[in-house]
Amino acid sequence: MKGSLLHPYKEGKSTVAAGFSLRTMALLALFCVASLWLAGCSSSEHSSNAVGTEIRFWNGFTGPDGATMERIVKQFERETGIRVKMQIIPWGTYYDKLVLSLAYGGAPDVFICHANRIAEFARYGVFRPLDDLIDADKGFPVQDFLPNIWQAGRYEGRQVGLPLDCHPQGLYYNRKLFREAGIVDTQGNPKPPETWEEFLEAARRLTRDKDGDGRPDQWGFAFTWLRTNWITFISQHGGSILSPDLKRAALAEPPAVRATQQMCDLIYKYRVAPKPEGFDSWMGFRQGRVAMAIEGIYMLSSVEEQKGLEYAGAPVPSFDVHRAVWGGSHMLCMPKDLPPERVQLVWRFMRYLSDHSLDWAEGGQIPVRRSLLKQPRFRQMRVQYQFAKQLPYVVFEPASYKSTEIMPFYDAAIEAALLGIKTPQDALNEAARRIQQVLDRP
Amino acid sequence: MKRMAFPAHQRHEALVGYLFIAPYLVLFVLFVLVPVVWGFFISLHNWHVLGEQKPFVGFANYRALLRDDLFGIALLNTGYFALLTVVPGNVVSLLLALGLNARIRGEDVYKAIFYLPVILSVAVVAIIWRWMYSTEFGLLNYYLKVLWQFLHLPGEFQPVPWLNSPQTAMPSLALMSIWWGAGGSMLIYLAGLRAIPEEYYEAARIDGASTWGRFWHITLPLLKPSLLFCLVMSLIGSSQVFGQSYILTGGGPHYSTLTVVLYMYQTGFSLYRMGYACAVAYVMFLIVLGFTLLQFRLLSARGEE
Repeated sequence: MKGSLLHPYKEGKSTVAAGFSLRTMALLALFCVASLWLAGCSSSEHSSNAVGTEIRFWNGFTGPDGATMERIVKQFERETGIRVKMQIIPWGTYYDKLVLSLAYGGAPDVFICHANRIAEFARYGVFRPLDDLIDADKGFPVQDFLPNIWQAGRYEGRQVGLPLDCHPQGLYYNRKLFREAGIVDTQGNPKPPETWEEFLEAARRLTRDKDGDGRPDQWGFAFTWLRTNWITFISQHGGSILSPDLKRAALAEPPAVRATQQMCDLIYKYRVAPKPEGFDSWMGFRQGRVAMAIEGIYMLSSVEEQKGLEYAGAPVPSFDVHRAVWGGSHMLCMPKDLPPERVQLVWRFMRYLSDHSLDWAEGGQIPVRRSLLKQPRFRQMRVQYQFAKQLPYVVFEPASYKSTEIMPFYDAAIEAALLGIKTPQDALNEAARRIQQVLDRP
Repeated sequence: MKRMAFPAHQRHEALVGYLFIAPYLVLFVLFVLVPVVWGFFISLHNWHVLGEQKPFVGFANYRALLRDDLFGIALLNTGYFALLTVVPGNVVSLLLALGLNARIRGEDVYKAIFYLPVILSVAVVAIIWRWMYSTEFGLLNYYLKVLWQFLHLPGEFQPVPWLNSPQTAMPSLALMSIWWGAGGSMLIYLAGLRAIPEEYYEAARIDGASTWGRFWHITLPLLKPSLLFCLVMSLIGSSQVFGQSYILTGGGPHYSTLTVVLYMYQTGFSLYRMGYACAVAYVMFLIVLGFTLLQFRLLSARGEE
């Protein structure tokens, strides 16, 4: 899994120095002690930090996005004289640290939460709702935000997260390979596919066995992050992970099964994609051995640094009748127990980040405010601009507070289906059964 | 009740004794005893880290564990890992020790080389072996391919998906673990071998015993204490396997390397369901306790011989 099936997005988790197994027991034991200990002193935590006008901001922007965020924060400090103490924690351990700080004290004044975890955190009441701040801030342009993404920051009728960006997937394609295969428009420019037929045709022409050993050494397409690739496919077929009321597992129903079958067909029937077993797909794309890949906008910097790679971005083709693409979003959130005298200060900072999300876009993210998306400066960001076309139909993981908990089950199902361990129906049935158990548990 | 009255100097001695163990005792109570009890308390609750309410649920977590097929899979996988590592690993250690016991030149160098992996942490080992196991760029597949071509085997070499296939993932982790841990048992076996008096072998040789006969009738029986110790210790160690699958496979592909401790970790530290994680930990604890008691029994059985 860690080799090729695991996404770099998650890699932090895997490289955390894990000690001997006994240490896990010790870790659990330590947690127990800490929970006893910190329960006692959590109340005094905030007061010690309330000196002056300093905002503590936590996020996991370890890549080029971190440098971009640092620039925006510096600019905010210069303009307002407010100090921001930013702590960047790798995503792999970010939530562990955040959760403990929220539970036992030491939480930051503002932090990033991914859209797909909003419900989970909101359910345990860790956020300070933002509605009163938004209402009081005359001229705060709620209407400027794309409604579906604004909605993702809500839980049970309250706005708990302010969307900073959206990072949808898109189609990355290799322009050189497209030209070589003659997939070009009338002007001779590489033409990315828009429909399933075009996609399949392109993938066929781009899959080539150059040395005649019976195994392709150039692939038309490759699956990268299975989970999110799958969400894009099933959403396009009208399928979903949970029923709309979030009470029932829906992933074993015909649309999702059809979509999973379509993915398997690319590997086993049409033979235009490698089995995702020991094949580093993204590396393959960077090295020009894979012509097309569906990946997030946040991978942009990794192709930018690849010398000699002629890449471009396009919206994901339609594989079926529905338009849909998986995306994530970084939400700015306040903890519940933020002292009232600091709230306005923090809100000012949050608003500043949102207003400057065009600067943020340079780090490989997409603003979610219509006014910014229309600006010429954004149109010049080639890949970002292409991917942003999909924002109106971005799909997030289900907004259930059990979202994180059910994720491993469908992860395993897609893996099993694409590796040919189980048929799509069997794999999804198994996952559905396990997910239903989790949903039924009080 | 009558208290034993110690003379002053004995009381003083006892005090010094307690002072000596005090640092350990404090740490033990604070970081082992209290958490162990507290962990059991948590396992009786529906204890989400962020939950304001942490309702008491009795043994519901344990009952849920009985119906949890993933826990069953994790138990089976852990057993499978133990099967793959305990006996083969000890055979490797014993062979290494026998080789070293032949009093070869440069013995210390070999000893150091074989022992070296033991001092590495599992994280380091896993990161090294990730490169070895990489399907496309890995060292293992590279050499297998070279070998394939050298032997002129038919067809094209198909790279082995070491960590990416449910069939090979667990054996790959086992192979790595054997490499990692063999040196430790090797030293114990070596010490055990060196403790066997040379006269026994001489007598056997005079009686015309073969090499195999000497090994079977002298070496093995006299090595029994070391054997038992190493076998049971490696069984306990294997039953707690975690870092290998955590770092290299994350429990996949398709649950094939999900082990009990990894499952506990994921439940507790990814899903924040501490009550359930503690229940897993307690069941695990009982199983390891079982093995430890077994060890005591086996070792003392030897003493009675």
